[in-house]
Order: sequence, then C-alpha cells, then structure tokens
Amino acid sequence: MTRYALHPQVGLRDEAFGALAYHYGSRRLTFLNDARLVTVVRTVADHDDVDAALAAAGVPDRRRAAYLTALQRLADAEILTCE
Amino acid sequence: MTSTVTESVVSTTDATAAGADTPAPYDDEVLAELLIEEISIDGMCGVY
Repeated sequence: MTRYALHPQVGLRDEAFGALAYHYGSRRLTFLNDARLVTVVRTVADHDDVDAALAAAGVPDRRRAAYLTALQRLADAEILTCE
Repeated sequence: MTSTVTESVVSTTDATAAGADTPAPYDDEVLAELLIEEISIDGMCGVY
C-alpha cells in the first residue's frame, strides 16, 4: 500500500487559497489550491493509510480518485515522499 | 537575465462546483489539475 509523507526538504505555508509548498532542493513552488488537500498533505503520515487521511480530511468518496491523482503528482514533484 | 515561469495548470473552472453526482472520468483529471499548480522560480533573481 502506498504511504505518503511530507518531503523533509519542503516547507508549507498556509495561504487564503490553501497553502504554498516550497521545495528547498529543487526551488520549485507548488500551490495547493484546496484546504482539504492541504489537510491531507499535512496529516497523511499520521494515518495508517492514505484512505484514512482522505476520510479524516472530509474528502467525498466521489472525489477520492482526483485527490489520489493529485497526491501522486505531489509525490512526482517531490513535495511528498512515497514508499 | 532570463526568467522561466512554468505553470502546469491555468484555469478558473471549479470542477468541484459542477454539481454532478456521478462525475465523468475526465472530471477527476480536471479536478486533480486544479488542486495543484507548480511554478519554477529558477532564473528569477532580480524579480524578488
């Protein structure tokens, strides 16, 4: 099962639109345009699995696929670690 | 000086507000792209 965690080289700053993630290694900025996604990114490592993190953040079941895709893209951008 | 700004997503559409109970498969792709937006600030020295 995929497990995500915030990358140790990434800083998150809350913003009105959601949050801004800055990777100190790649110097890339990523805008997280959704409060629920921000919650998932901040807390996913604290849950047993990503499904639990999505549920705890209040992501509707019908939108889970979209959030999972977004999380994978964040992992591809090294905002999240994935194992 | 060269500046490079790349944006993977530029859109003002809110897919979550579409109101469809059973979203079409492409809706998930659209929503996923709206959730995150990447920008490179390499080469932007002097701008900030």
